[in-house]
Amino acid sequence: MEEKIISYSNLVSLTGDLIKTGCMVICEDKNGTGWKRIENPDEIKINHKEIPSNISYKEFVFPKTEPVFYFKSKKEDYDLIEKNAQPGKIVFLGAKPCDSRSVEIMSKVFNWDYKDEFFNEKAERTIVIGTACNYKDEFCFCTTVNIDPASEKGSDLFLIPLDENTYALKIVTGKGKEFIQPYLKYLSDGNPAKSQEALAKIKGPDKKFEPSKVREWIGNNFEHKLFDNIGSTCVGCGQCAFACPVCHCFDIVDEECSYECGRRMKNWDACQFGLFTLHSSGHNPRENQNKRYRQRIAHKFKYYTDKFDEILCTGCGRCSRGCPVQIDIAQVAGEINLVANQV
Amino acid sequence: MNELRQLSKDLLQNGTVKVIIGYAEGTTPGRTKPFIARTPEDTDKFVFNKHCVNNLAVYLTRKEYKGKGTVGIVAKGCDVKAIVQLVQENQINKDDIYIIGMNCNGAAADFGKDTLAVKCIHCTVRTPHLYHTLLGTIDEMPKQEDDHLKMIEKFDAMTSEEKWAFWEAEFEKCVKCYACRQTCPMCYCEKCIADKSMPRWIESSAHTRGNFAWNIIRAFHLSGRCIGCNECERACPAQIPLSLLNRKMGMVAKKEFDYTAGIALDNPTLVGNYNNADREDFIK
Repeated sequence: MEEKIISYSNLVSLTGDLIKTGCMVICEDKNGTGWKRIENPDEIKINHKEIPSNISYKEFVFPKTEPVFYFKSKKEDYDLIEKNAQPGKIVFLGAKPCDSRSVEIMSKVFNWDYKDEFFNEKAERTIVIGTACNYKDEFCFCTTVNIDPASEKGSDLFLIPLDENTYALKIVTGKGKEFIQPYLKYLSDGNPAKSQEALAKIKGPDKKFEPSKVREWIGNNFEHKLFDNIGSTCVGCGQCAFACPVCHCFDIVDEECSYECGRRMKNWDACQFGLFTLHSSGHNPRENQNKRYRQRIAHKFKYYTDKFDEILCTGCGRCSRGCPVQIDIAQVAGEINLVANQV
Repeated sequence: MNELRQLSKDLLQNGTVKVIIGYAEGTTPGRTKPFIARTPEDTDKFVFNKHCVNNLAVYLTRKEYKGKGTVGIVAKGCDVKAIVQLVQENQINKDDIYIIGMNCNGAAADFGKDTLAVKCIHCTVRTPHLYHTLLGTIDEMPKQEDDHLKMIEKFDAMTSEEKWAFWEAEFEKCVKCYACRQTCPMCYCEKCIADKSMPRWIESSAHTRGNFAWNIIRAFHLSGRCIGCNECERACPAQIPLSLLNRKMGMVAKKEFDYTAGIALDNPTLVGNYNNADREDFIK
């Protein structure tokens, strides 16, 4: 893998060029709420040693609300107006390894029995410039779900911080190589020995549970009493799902756009909401929060793995850090693991 | 803490209560999370410290507890305000609740921080105003400037256009996760107006228009009802300063109608009461 060196000031210049050529450069915002499109290259933030943002960057490939089409009423019929695709690359700058795999993981469900053109159109334009991660706290568990905080997996280009002002830049994919080609003037020759040294210093969080155990156990113990109280303190908000880099459920609604025009919208939805599985008959197969929380765990560690051979979790810890009632997903999965081991 | 555990154990053992809603240790020592004790043994897990910031009254209106035996609750003064307001609004029966009142020395703004949570800076109920048993002691609390009030004053001084621009930028961040509603003890509607779809009063889309509709309607629904626990703002992943709206509306209720939510058990609620002396000059 080719490796180069880029200074912080050159990274700012590179970002300036990208913005000028019409790229959407997406960075973590200053106060750590989420990610935003930056207009000024000075706003870049490569967060490799601080707490991750509250909300992941998935909204730039899977927006929280997005028009699918517009319709305009004529006298007897409706005119459908298709939305035009946007040009230009979407560059995620400074994605930690627990973020950089997000698009790749979600792609599997959005290209399963139906190819979701809205997601794909954006995913194809994505360039992920990842960064090795030197942060960990009590909520991080990337290593548990097989993500290495020092790994370039999921990134097209990968930054390894060498000191305050210098990064090694690994050119990971063909897409990344093509993308960086016009900007070689900002790069100098790499020193793999130095970057190896920096990567060797990264010690990820300890493993907290075995996802394969959790997967296997849920499959055979769906009605186990452990699930009777699993969501007893969950208040049923969507913080966990909306902050998550890989939760991908959505709802479709029609709404008015102007007096004569309407639009069909694709909006984020979350399995912890009571309305999520409410049937029009009034029946709700997941009638309480325990069943909804079981679904959250099962979808992340069993169903998605069964179907796509991928854990629907990157161990970023956002759901636990932000949970208003302090439910820690790794702790819950750990309890399941414990029960599974007793059998 | 031992007092709390012993009392809880006794209450469950002698059948005074069916369950007790309290706090247990969270992910790491010192952190806490809500915990529901169902057996006397469970009460060994109870803790109480400055990180017990949650308002547990949010659980009292749940179907699984309402009208199904006495529920014990570990409550700080601010939580008791929520309980009182819920009783005033006929959502819970005061005889169905056993309040373990906790003298409170202020909750921390965040884990690992010594600064007080906003709600504690202007707290008037450090000793709960209603309880069955009172535990803990009142210690000297560090004085902290009420910067939040200054923010409201600053906000009051803005022009309408500036206010609009301010909230437009804030509400744009809303992701419609409804953590504000779900953590709010006063948001107990069985069917929230935001979830009604025939007709749809509030657009479910998280665009600026839909977000304005949601957040403003919620602020109105809480006017004169919000007890100021500030759980909505704490829960908001988008960090929208909802307390500015809610505290301001509370200040208006106080000034115009001399009403403070959650204080007097037997008083009618602000919007559930009519007084001949009420101001009418705003009706045009």
